[in-house]
Amino acid sequence: MSETKSEPVIQVKDLYKFYSIGNNKVKALNGVDFTINRGEFCSIVGTSGSGKSTLLNMLAGLEKPTKGQIVIGGEHIEKMNENQLVKFRREHVGFIFQSFNLLPTMNAVENVALPLTFRGMPKKIRLAKAAKMLELVGLKKQCKHKPTQMSGGQQQRVGVARALVVKPEIIFADEPTGNLDSNTSAEVMNLMKKIVREQNLTLIMVTHDNHLASFADRIFHIRDGKILKIEDNTNREVTIDEEI
Amino acid sequence: MNFLDLLTMSVNNLWRRKLRTALTVLGVVIGTAAIVVMVSLGIALNKSYLEDVEQSGGLTTINVYSGNEYAFFEGGSQSDDTEKIELTDDVIEELAQLDHVEFVSPVLTSNIIIKQGLYQADLYVRAMSSEALNKLDIPLAYGSVPQDGEELRYVLGNQAITNFYNAKTNSYPYWDTGEVPDVDLQGDFFVIYDVDAYYQTLWGDASDPESGTTIKPPKKYIMSDFSLVSGGLEEYNQFSSDTYANIDAFKAQLKKVFKNKAIPGQPTTKSGKPYKYWVYNEAYVKVDHMDNVTDVQKVISEMGLQPTSNAEWVESAQKQSRSIQAVLGGIGAVSLFVASIGIANTMMMSIYERTKEIGIIKVLGCSLGNIRTLFLLEAAFIGLIGGILGLILSYGISALMNQFMGSMMSGMMGSTSSVSVIPPWLSLFALSISVLVGILSGFFPALKAMKLSPLSAIKTE
Repeated sequence: MSETKSEPVIQVKDLYKFYSIGNNKVKALNGVDFTINRGEFCSIVGTSGSGKSTLLNMLAGLEKPTKGQIVIGGEHIEKMNENQLVKFRREHVGFIFQSFNLLPTMNAVENVALPLTFRGMPKKIRLAKAAKMLELVGLKKQCKHKPTQMSGGQQQRVGVARALVVKPEIIFADEPTGNLDSNTSAEVMNLMKKIVREQNLTLIMVTHDNHLASFADRIFHIRDGKILKIEDNTNREVTIDEEI
Repeated sequence: MNFLDLLTMSVNNLWRRKLRTALTVLGVVIGTAAIVVMVSLGIALNKSYLEDVEQSGGLTTINVYSGNEYAFFEGGSQSDDTEKIELTDDVIEELAQLDHVEFVSPVLTSNIIIKQGLYQADLYVRAMSSEALNKLDIPLAYGSVPQDGEELRYVLGNQAITNFYNAKTNSYPYWDTGEVPDVDLQGDFFVIYDVDAYYQTLWGDASDPESGTTIKPPKKYIMSDFSLVSGGLEEYNQFSSDTYANIDAFKAQLKKVFKNKAIPGQPTTKSGKPYKYWVYNEAYVKVDHMDNVTDVQKVISEMGLQPTSNAEWVESAQKQSRSIQAVLGGIGAVSLFVASIGIANTMMMSIYERTKEIGIIKVLGCSLGNIRTLFLLEAAFIGLIGGILGLILSYGISALMNQFMGSMMSGMMGSTSSVSVIPPWLSLFALSISVLVGILSGFFPALKAMKLSPLSAIKTE
């Protein structure tokens, strides 16, 4: 399998990020290098404060690196201005948040269709696509529900649908199951993994949970702003059903 | 994002916070209504000024007098021995040749007496060309304006009847007792042209002090077919008291009456013989446009004549009404300014509330321009709705003011015009101003929303 997806989609070279909090200089990332190939499911795992979220934010263009290069699909993210970054996210990236971040005033379909709205897609087409995507995540019946009328798991499935609807090359997930109980977490993880496999998408997931991280093809262990080890998991295909 | 999506999104956002939106809109409503009503008062004031001017002789006419009377105003340049420039037919012709002058009519004024039964009245006749008389647009109750080639006819003012007095008791019934004298204005009158001779014979001093010859009572002429200016006895306008006649017919009549004697008011040689030509008391000059009046007036005064017009008065009146309008508009502008602070405040609040939401849509790829437009649209909507409602309110207030204060004011100022006038341009102006105020006060909040970092936005719990 690894032979067919050897094309690198993310290349990170020598990445540093320093914050200054008061007089203290915090080294959030202290020289990180890696390459992620198309169709890979990678998880970044570490304790809180290890720099894993900072890394994800920089990959998604939400934060500027202090030093180093991030090349995604041949483009240097670190050199883009904010307008270009928004455009880059709109066209190449899907996002799954820990706290779902659905707009409370919109129902499920409208929430899923939102990224398509930003692309200027006509209403009829985007709602049809969103409905189809909701069906894929198994929420056909909850199409017209507002986020407040749905359980956490359902909300996160809407979140997954919203990330997938734009057919992104890369999906970033920041603790996607952090607000869910373990059963629901498993469901959502299975769903994500299934769709990523089917559609040959690149998924990068940040988590502090070693168990959840182990679902990925490769696991990046990160501590104190450095990559401790990269665990290759491709040969050990596990499904969630076996684990539980 | 396409524009329709932006539009529905911003309307939905406003709809979500109905009460706050309504309160902000209320501020704009009051601001807009304040400006519109205040300016409408100023416009109505200006309009009634112009109507007053129109009533007292129009905006495009110049009355020209011969040059000697106010010669000392010229700063001594026109000394006593300068030949007096009289309004002869030649000068009238010269005036008619000036640029921007539509036509010129000589004005010959004279006093006559008309009698009917017990009553008689002194009338002041202004004889003018029929062209000028037609242009004056005299509103008539009956009869018609005298035309060229007709026999001599008079147009009496609507207040003419108040001038009749009882020749025996010397009392004016109208002024003394409020009774309208028993005179049939459509009946026959005796007309006396030689007024001096009439009074001299009346008071018994029937001999000329110089020649010693006895003066005969002047001849009376029977006339009828008087026309009358329309309007009640209490209604004053520029045609109320004078009597109008056609100048050619009037001149012919005077020649017939006085034969070889000097006509009163006309120049004579030292021996008392009349000249061959006529000298007029005034010239009525009609200018093509209001803006040219001052220029024409200047040229005429350079000819050594004395022009007077309403132009200067109108100018100062307009200056005054402009400053009143500015003050009134300023008061309105203050309230709209307060409203704009309200809009800005509402937009700021809504941005703080929606920090997370803005962050999410930014992460999901909503472009910065779209975010800015979204907030500007919301602010513009507040302005637009406020403007429309404010305009409706203004029309209501304006109608109420005209209803209740209009009669009061017209009693005070003698004009029938309304207190508040909202012309279409003012409505359009008010709408665009309120939208503009909305956009301007939404501008900085919109910039702020645009600059929110998506990262801090998604972290806010």
